[in-house]
Amino acid sequence: MGLESIVIIGGGPGGFTTAEQLRRRGFDGSLTVVDPEGLPYDRPPLSKDYLTGAKHAEALLFQQAQWYQDHQIEVIADRAVSLHPQTGAVELASGQQLPADRAVLATGGRPRRLPIPGGDAECVQTLRTRQDADSLRGSVRPGSRAAIIGAGLIGAETASSLRTLDAEVVLIDTVDPPLVPAVGAELARQLHDMHAQHGVQTITGSCREIGPGQTEHTIVLQDGTEVHADVVLVGVGITAVTELAEAAGAEVADGVIVDERQRSSIGWLYAVGDAARTRSADGTLERRAEHWEHAVQSGTIAAAALLGQDPPPSTAPWFWTDRYGVHVEAVGDMAAEGSTVLREQDGQIRAAFRLAGDGTMLGAAAVDAGLTVRAARRIIDRRIVVDPVQLADPDVPLKKLMKTSSPTGSPNR
Amino acid sequence: MSNGIHVGSVDDIEEGEAEMVSAEVTGIGRDIAVFHAEDGNFYALDDECTHETASLSEGWVEGTEVECPVHSARFCLKSGEALCMPATINARTHRIEVIDDEIYLHPDTSGTAA
Repeated sequence: MGLESIVIIGGGPGGFTTAEQLRRRGFDGSLTVVDPEGLPYDRPPLSKDYLTGAKHAEALLFQQAQWYQDHQIEVIADRAVSLHPQTGAVELASGQQLPADRAVLATGGRPRRLPIPGGDAECVQTLRTRQDADSLRGSVRPGSRAAIIGAGLIGAETASSLRTLDAEVVLIDTVDPPLVPAVGAELARQLHDMHAQHGVQTITGSCREIGPGQTEHTIVLQDGTEVHADVVLVGVGITAVTELAEAAGAEVADGVIVDERQRSSIGWLYAVGDAARTRSADGTLERRAEHWEHAVQSGTIAAAALLGQDPPPSTAPWFWTDRYGVHVEAVGDMAAEGSTVLREQDGQIRAAFRLAGDGTMLGAAAVDAGLTVRAARRIIDRRIVVDPVQLADPDVPLKKLMKTSSPTGSPNR
Repeated sequence: MSNGIHVGSVDDIEEGEAEMVSAEVTGIGRDIAVFHAEDGNFYALDDECTHETASLSEGWVEGTEVECPVHSARFCLKSGEALCMPATINARTHRIEVIDDEIYLHPDTSGTAA
């Protein structure tokens, strides 16, 4: 029996992709996206071009309203308040009951707060939604003193953006350098050092207390150091938004537990993106993935699974980040056991490759090197063994290297 | 002979590579990327990715697709169709003609997106 109605809860990249892929793959039943913020929009620019004002709200939209009409996708600007798997319905805050043969949860995450005195004070901002970006933008003037707690992707990108708005920025993190698991120790060092080169003061330490004030706020570190700021932003990760799934009886453990086809423990409900956590076929609970591409990929897998189609081939995970005008990308696993080969030019690391003992590539991270990353991804996926000496040579394009090297485990194409 | 813009000879662009023809040459106010696809044929798209600023002629050509070098959106070289996120808008295609191993580009002047 074919599905007649699917309701998607959440309009970020995961929810949007699920809807788009369902239509692209031929689903002709009723399709609804529910999100309190209305038309689905993209998040990565919120800490970058949207925050600096280079990109406007309209440009964040994945598609304009007309596209949803053309594809007969209804977007309801409301909040889902409960799921009813038995009767096949999603209930909205307005009281409306949407019929749903299946539901897809794409509710993402909510920013973590610091569990310290003042951690939940009103002056402490987070950055997750368009509204968050608007408030942050609205609170920064040239010369404003901003303190950013957490120097991961959000913190680092925001520091860079606030510098272009002529704010003074202090960036605080418990580790130095951050992002070692994501890009490897060497590149993490180089990237973190860029903050100081661009006038950002970096502090290593953990926060003991945030004291909100009338004119300025005070952050007290464990060693007693005080940082005074007009604007305080915390970027220390997210927790998955899973309440709806939990209330409906689905298994939840730091994310809605899903199988490799994004199906929760109640088959009626699927979950994608940041809110989902995969239990692989052998029973291993994987770490929850929080990157943009995972949202898109899992949305595609869910759409295929809902329609009984084959999922797209899996590939090494990938993400990008931008700071101070440089574009950083990483693919695979830079924290996997192995050794690192660096590709350097003019004293700067252009790319870092993580290699296994058998010579296969496990991960790669690179700065302003699009083709290197695209080649590396294929080298990882196809288990091609490349010569480490040539990998280190900035004059050897990886694409050439890939074609002259031999695959090990699986066929080249 | 052709009334198109002479891009070069077929040997000038290796298979799997692309070349950018600048806006001054195309005459339509936009750069155009000319691709030598892995099916042996030549194709042309607007050079700028429909998602954000990025040059598709610097992208990764595989089969008859190009992957943007910045955020990995993929486009069909034959139709210009945006095949995956983050691109949601198709790329404009332009006609290519190969005469006696010479490549000629016919920029689409219609002014509407593909």
